[in-house]
Amino acid sequence: MISETDTVQQVALEKDDIGNFSFPERHKFDAGYGLTKDTIDYISKVKDEPAWVNEFRHKALEVFRSKPMPTNWATQDLENIDFDKIRYYLSDGAKPKRSWDEVPPEVLETFDRLGVPEQERAFLAGVEAQYDSEAAYSNVKEELAKEGVIFVTATEGLREYEEIFRPYFGKVIPTGDNKFSALNSAVMSGGSFIYIPKGVKVKHPLQAYFRINSENFGQFERTLIIADEGSEVMYMEGCTAPKFETATLHSAVVELVALKGAKIQYITVQNWSSNVFNLVTKRAVAHEDAEVRWIDCNIGSRVTMKYPGVVMKGEGARGEVISIALANDGQHQDTGAKMIHAANNTSSNVISKSISVGEGRSTYRGQVHIPKHLKGCKNNTECDALLINPKSRTDTYPAISVKGNQHVTQHEASVSQVSEEMLFYMQQRGLTEAQAMSLAVNGFINDLASEFPMEYSVELKRLIDLEMEGSVG
Amino acid sequence: MNQPTSIEEKSLSWPIRTDENWRFGSWKEGNLEGLAPVGEGDGLELPAPLEGATRFVFHNARLVSGDHPAVTPVEHSFGPKARLGSEKAAELHRRECQHGLAISSTESIFIEVIHFVSGEGLLLPSLSIKSDQGALVKVVERFISVNQEDATTVLTAVDLDLSAGSRMKYLVTQELNRKSRLVRLADSCLQENANATQGVVHTGAKWVREETYSTVDGIDARSEILSIALPDSGQEYDQRTFQHHGARDTYSDLLFKNTLFGTAKTIFSGLIFVDEGAHGTDAYQTCRNLMMTDECEAHSMPGLEINADGVKCSHGSTSSRVSDEEIFYLMARGIQPKQARTLVAQGFSMEAIEKFEDETLEGLATEVVLRKFEAVV
Repeated sequence: MISETDTVQQVALEKDDIGNFSFPERHKFDAGYGLTKDTIDYISKVKDEPAWVNEFRHKALEVFRSKPMPTNWATQDLENIDFDKIRYYLSDGAKPKRSWDEVPPEVLETFDRLGVPEQERAFLAGVEAQYDSEAAYSNVKEELAKEGVIFVTATEGLREYEEIFRPYFGKVIPTGDNKFSALNSAVMSGGSFIYIPKGVKVKHPLQAYFRINSENFGQFERTLIIADEGSEVMYMEGCTAPKFETATLHSAVVELVALKGAKIQYITVQNWSSNVFNLVTKRAVAHEDAEVRWIDCNIGSRVTMKYPGVVMKGEGARGEVISIALANDGQHQDTGAKMIHAANNTSSNVISKSISVGEGRSTYRGQVHIPKHLKGCKNNTECDALLINPKSRTDTYPAISVKGNQHVTQHEASVSQVSEEMLFYMQQRGLTEAQAMSLAVNGFINDLASEFPMEYSVELKRLIDLEMEGSVG
Repeated sequence: MNQPTSIEEKSLSWPIRTDENWRFGSWKEGNLEGLAPVGEGDGLELPAPLEGATRFVFHNARLVSGDHPAVTPVEHSFGPKARLGSEKAAELHRRECQHGLAISSTESIFIEVIHFVSGEGLLLPSLSIKSDQGALVKVVERFISVNQEDATTVLTAVDLDLSAGSRMKYLVTQELNRKSRLVRLADSCLQENANATQGVVHTGAKWVREETYSTVDGIDARSEILSIALPDSGQEYDQRTFQHHGARDTYSDLLFKNTLFGTAKTIFSGLIFVDEGAHGTDAYQTCRNLMMTDECEAHSMPGLEINADGVKCSHGSTSSRVSDEEIFYLMARGIQPKQARTLVAQGFSMEAIEKFEDETLEGLATEVVLRKFEAVV
């Protein structure tokens, strides 16, 4: 499907850098370059926000300006972000149209190889502004509405359902949590606000796709999910197919609240183009007997910094982070987990597997915190790294703080390569070296990949095959 | 050999709160500004001699006894360059240190150095040990407070230098009083085929900051780093380590065992750093915390940075108490629960002590550990 070409001109595509290309754009609303108080007022006006949201944004801007870059522990590459050259809000209700001719052939090939449906391809490549989900998912939407589930954009959530969302908004991740959560709070747009009523168990995974006409993949998306007592929900964001963006900074904030006995699973597959700084803050609060699982897969971007966290606030709460990262040439996947135990008999589990290919670098950064006067807390952390090439790099920086003797924590990490014997064995049976390597890598993440919904897990495997191509031999 | 970026270009200033090298640590304690040097000191009755060892005794900065052809008293610092957070303290040591020993041997020797420490203020001993031509150099260094009242700050630096094929075993015992502080900077560098075991036993002091930087820079070199720490209420041990692999087919293993009593606090931060090209490296790092009470706290930051291929690396960190099964097992054999707990805890320390593979060193380490158990339990 090819849309009008007269709205777009020449694409500037640099040969050596797939991610570094741009599309001419036309927007009805454009806050311009740089970040000032006017930018914020402009966004608030366009979104028709209540005064308190505008005030919240202004306070956040001050916090953002007052905080230093976290380069005392994070990569120096962050210094390359020029905040004055970023456009903080763009919208004309629809994204700019591009033509199929402008989409790089590698991307088309990737879509083919992954088996992405025709309709989704157009959306992902930016050829179509929206993914027309109405037909495919109208049944699901009806069912949700009947059960009282609220599933709206962040803007709508704060405007129409203030009494539900405001008490939790910015509470799990306060504005001042870090520099990028403050940035997000100042210029947030896009994202989902979801409320699951008491006892409702949502059967189908919710996806941002379901909402039409939304700013799904905003630069500064803000998501808040509240699962009321005894409810269950699974939310998915992102997709395995590469997403092409001209913006170079993405800074999302995702807050989850699992009330007594609720269960939330949040699944992310991130495959931004390789010029993107992806700096995301994700955290959940789990009340009594609640369970929160973050399932996270990072394949794209230039630098990703993402450490999903769970604050286990009620007795018997459980938190889990399952993470797969693949770092290829020029990429730094800096991911991890934060587990804050704040009640008795809480347990947490972190399993992280990373693969470094070519000159890629993957990092695990974790925090486990068990404060004084608690008992029966348990943590298990495992991080395994696989290095494919001689120049591949991996780091692990966990921090575990335990107070008191009524807890059990264990942390283990290992670094390994695909063994020569394994490759030799498979080659004996007729596989090429590359195929053998791919199989070995898929074996390495197999138990984690199976945690993803089936269609994701299949795409994930294909994608890893793709990424591994040319890395051996 | 590459220098890791994390330790480059450190400006010389006392630690601040946001310094990653001082995370969880008492960074204010790390400021040694304005401390006057301690004056003359005395000694105590000497401990039983170690079999085969030549003994050197210091009363504060004054060498009162000791003589050996391989040992030269020095009046200046060998020039430590701390790279894990105490750069400013290292600079202070280079500038102010006026006593110490330089041990250098091409033959196998056994030297014991005793520092009797007293007086309010700063004491800055220096020690360099060089093992050459396949010799086995054994050194014991002990820090003992003369009384329980004086708040002495000991800033000590040691440099272990192993040439190709040589061996070294080096044990430090720290038995300072509960008002004193210790900052200890330990550097080691191993060439081809060299083999070093270094370890510390910490039982005393109010606050300890220890930075151990181990470099294995020659093929088939093996470095072993051990620590046995038993802090109780009012004691904080802050240990930072760096295992730097600069050549192929090198080996290093680190085992830290902390037994925490009362309101004790420990911090362990370790990093295995494998240079580009240091293929075939085997590097291991384990920190185990045995929590004896509900008030103690342990922070562990075991880290890895791997830039090479064909590497076998792992680290593990655990924190837990003596398991109920172990207590039950011993009780079934007629041992009281309290005694059972102590036995298990002692066994926990022994696992690290045994790694010295030297009867005399193991005997001394055990003696110091058991004395602490007597005092605490």
